[in-house]
Amino acid sequence: MFFVNVFMALVLHKRVYALLDGNYNHFNSCLVNNKSVKTIMAIIRPRLTDHFGIPLSQADLDFAIPFLEEDIPLYVDPFMLWRSPSQQDNALHASLLSAFNNLGILVRDNKEEQALEILIAASECDEVGLGTSATRHGKRIGKASAKEIINLFKRIPQYARSGFRHFEEIQLFVDGVSKDRISDITCSFLKSFLIDFTIQQCDKLGIPKVSSEVQNVYDFRKNIFETQSAISLPINPKNGKPLIFVPKRWLRYVPWLSYDDYFKYYCPQDEISHKPEELRHIEVLNYNRDNYGVIDNYIKEKERTFEDCHNDPLFSQIPITSAKRRFSQIQKLPTGKTDGADIAYEELMGQLLPSLLYPNLDFAQEQARTDSGVSIRDLIFYNSASTPFLKDIYDTYGARQITMEMKNVQAIERIHVDQLNRYLADELGQFGLFITRNPLKKAEFKRTIDLWSGQRKAIVVLTDTDIGQMVELFESKQRNPIDVVVKKYSELRRSCP
Amino acid sequence: METEDDVFNLEKLIVQLDGLHTELSQLTKKSPNDGLNLFKLKLVNNVLGSGNQVLTGNYKPFEDFNEFEEVTLPTNSDVTMILALYKEQAERFRSDNMIYSQHRWQYVINGEPSAIEGRPPTKIGTIK
Repeated sequence: MFFVNVFMALVLHKRVYALLDGNYNHFNSCLVNNKSVKTIMAIIRPRLTDHFGIPLSQADLDFAIPFLEEDIPLYVDPFMLWRSPSQQDNALHASLLSAFNNLGILVRDNKEEQALEILIAASECDEVGLGTSATRHGKRIGKASAKEIINLFKRIPQYARSGFRHFEEIQLFVDGVSKDRISDITCSFLKSFLIDFTIQQCDKLGIPKVSSEVQNVYDFRKNIFETQSAISLPINPKNGKPLIFVPKRWLRYVPWLSYDDYFKYYCPQDEISHKPEELRHIEVLNYNRDNYGVIDNYIKEKERTFEDCHNDPLFSQIPITSAKRRFSQIQKLPTGKTDGADIAYEELMGQLLPSLLYPNLDFAQEQARTDSGVSIRDLIFYNSASTPFLKDIYDTYGARQITMEMKNVQAIERIHVDQLNRYLADELGQFGLFITRNPLKKAEFKRTIDLWSGQRKAIVVLTDTDIGQMVELFESKQRNPIDVVVKKYSELRRSCP
Repeated sequence: METEDDVFNLEKLIVQLDGLHTELSQLTKKSPNDGLNLFKLKLVNNVLGSGNQVLTGNYKPFEDFNEFEEVTLPTNSDVTMILALYKEQAERFRSDNMIYSQHRWQYVINGEPSAIEGRPPTKIGTIK
């Protein structure tokens, strides 16, 4: 309780502070600014920081940068709070459990309806935007599912007596509860802390905030969800709804305690059924309810091996051997479309380049577009302006994102240069790269020079030789692979008048 | 050479060029196209800077080359090649400034044999 009280004091203090800051007008001006709206339209897979022109690399931030149109494909794992060496995280886990186990107290006091209401309210947390939704909007659990969860406090004596140690155990007893639900319940109960974390990060990075109304903020003193108004939070410019950041250190693809892990490695399957066709999900859940000892052992075993539990990064580089293997495959590919060589080239480059350029450039997505009836595949990167070169092209060419157009051709033709030129519009930035097999011919190289001279658009070409050098630097770590792009750009600029 | 300091600077340059060339030759054998890291590149540029002060006129390996630029991402083999040329020219300069006098090889200072002894020249007969 001491920690909970400390947090509450912290929360109130920061809220008052947040109310006093003067970012509202700035934020509103950003929202109504046409240029900003135009920018959202232009940026591919926009993130909050890109929208506000705050070029930051994901690797440098403590939270997962929210996308404006979709969810981040990771989940909050409450076990990360339990296993954390930080006293703050441990205290938050204790608060979380206290809030969840309070549902059991309500059940015991014959206030089951109230418990159901709280659980249903906790079951979705759209503000954090974690999961797989393409719309940043999820659905709450139904009353029937909520009742099943609440009934665990009556059905299993250990929970009735002393509550949960890890509330994600509910996955092992109730159908339809999975990692997204666990994550949302965690975020809902800890929303008050997450709001403060968000305010703190926004102040640190200069992300504009606006006074917002936030629904379902858990009040640990009253043990109820409340709507809080006049809270300064960043707003999703797409829909005007508030956004809440989540610390990266809590995120995992799959929770440490999960049904799949239990079923695969710990579940006594033979005891449940000798016939595989009868070993269904629902039978396992029923077995678990009647055999709490098995679950208890599973939890104890997972707690014992907690040191193996780590957060998952938002992006993982491929290993050096894989990078070398992919480059070797690229070198063996013929130019053109023979036997799908163009598709294989694009796929291999799509796997290789995001790793070579990480963490300087965050990979946004691979994108297909059509120009003059020709299908073109690009790799789009967020420009984090994290090096002097990236900052320079951000300022000089307005390159908020960097487009790399892949061409598995013997020689880049004039039409290819024109296609990329058309694509390098004002909104996307005027800096682009060709990823191709051979250096440009004299005429096409001159055309890129002319584009720079006439329109100040820079088109840099990376050939197999350059990619080979990037792979070598990726392995040796003597220089950064992005320095090859710097070298090529500097060669282009030296040729320009 | 005009002073004893010029001799000491030349000898220091030769030693530094030899050391760097030996180290980088090994790196070049292992991975010729790998980039040289910025720490090593800075050291190489410092030595090349000293070289440019000592090796002037016909002794300067290239008229339009002074040092490596970071952005050009010089590889191990690029740097090794340039160091080899500087090393050769430093030795030519040294050979041209040695004289055999009183049964020993001595550095020439202001056209006269000095008291500083040196190794026998290896690039005899080159044009000054």
